[in-house]
Amino acid sequence: MSVPVSQMWAVASYVVKQRLGGRRRYPLVLMLEPLFRCNLACAGCGKIQYPAQILRKHLTVEACLRAVEECGAPIVSIPGGEPLMYPDIGRLVEELTARKKYVYLCTNAILLREKLEAGVFKPSKYLTFSVHMDGLREEHDESVCREGVYDEAAEGIQEALRRGFRVTTNTTLFEGASPLRMREFFDAMMDLGVEGMTLSPGYSYSKAPDQDHFLPTRKTQELFSRMLANPKRRWKFNQSPLFLQFLMGKRDYECTPWGNPTFNMFGWQRPCYLLQEGYAESFQDLIENTRWERYGKKSGNPKCRDCMVHCGFEATAVHETFTSWKGFRDTVVATVTGKP
Amino acid sequence: MIEGSEKSLQGWEPEVGSDLSLEQVIDLAFDYRGNTTVVKTDGTELSGYLFNRNPDVPQPFIQIFDASGAGPFTIPYSEIRTIKFTGRDTAAGNSYAAWRKRREEEKTGGATPSGELPA
Ligand code: SF4
Ligand code: SF4
Repeated sequence: MSVPVSQMWAVASYVVKQRLGGRRRYPLVLMLEPLFRCNLACAGCGKIQYPAQILRKHLTVEACLRAVEECGAPIVSIPGGEPLMYPDIGRLVEELTARKKYVYLCTNAILLREKLEAGVFKPSKYLTFSVHMDGLREEHDESVCREGVYDEAAEGIQEALRRGFRVTTNTTLFEGASPLRMREFFDAMMDLGVEGMTLSPGYSYSKAPDQDHFLPTRKTQELFSRMLANPKRRWKFNQSPLFLQFLMGKRDYECTPWGNPTFNMFGWQRPCYLLQEGYAESFQDLIENTRWERYGKKSGNPKCRDCMVHCGFEATAVHETFTSWKGFRDTVVATVTGKP
Repeated sequence: MIEGSEKSLQGWEPEVGSDLSLEQVIDLAFDYRGNTTVVKTDGTELSGYLFNRNPDVPQPFIQIFDASGAGPFTIPYSEIRTIKFTGRDTAAGNSYAAWRKRREEEKTGGATPSGELPA
């Protein structure tokens, strides 16, 4: 695992504080979407299918900061759309890092080099570029529906590393992924010099244009077990080892849908990053007035049946790490041995 | 909800009646990835993107950004006669399979223009 100690400490003390305060439902990562516009059009992405007037809109920095304040999560992930297309991205990141939020800027990296050369960002332990990489050149370009993107992203990664930024990758795995090719991909990312990798199976959005190439539970477990069997010590994952064990079928978790709440121009998305069943006006409204019993595996909701996505289950894993001795011990063992 | 198919509701102008409730039409409009036109009981219309609906409150409502992006405007269910699916369905025809097909055609010199992306 490659999460820096300072970040782990920030998350651990936050979780303990929430528990001591008796808070039952608390967020870990705010998914902040300042815009839906993107310079790619990946077939699996349900985030960019909006009419033109919506794609032209974006949140103000002030609205973003209010949401961050309201929610209080120690980590802010900025997915998209493509956040590097957000006109105020430099100021937003500066304001967030000044508030000591750990920011994960999730980008396809097409514009990364340009933004770095323009001096939009300053290196900070609080800022990580989480670059979207769905596999080796062939697989990634296929996944983002455009050739040449892998090479552009790899150049962006190298430039960011050269300038002293933290860089990780985020990979979504779809039906047909080859464990062998993925192992080669892990090597390639480590060769590039990234700090760590995050993995997640894809989810079939009810509004996404493509429903055919997502992974159901058994296939997910098989793929992750084969991909992560005898992991190389040099592979670093920027995520909870217990979550990886869950993906491999070694643990059974229930979803924590409020763990990664999502805020965008429509409001606070109910119930989670993946499902859009409506929007709440405030974070408090989201937490207090969402019918949580309708979601998660136990609920029997067919939309949740095969979901194993990080935004629902990683919070469960992190919660286990910091609230039970067994979870803590298992995390330490996996971290020390490098074996999820 | 027409899931996983290339079928689209684009152009549909539903009549609310005994076979189709207003709640069903609103749910379909909420799931639709394009602009719709809300026809109100007073005969006025509002076109735009319907991004929210809440049937679980004492006065159920929808929320919409109009065609220029202004809003959000909140309209109670009680003031809605029907909703027409007037805008282009931005999700239709953009499946992974469709992209693969276009790519294959490009490679084999088919009719699809080069560089075309699922918009
Ligand atoms: S780069 Fe990300 S936001 Fe853009 S289309 Fe692809 S998956 Fe969607
Ligand atoms: S299982 Fe959780 S994260 Fe997955 S779709 Fe359901 S509520 Fe969302």
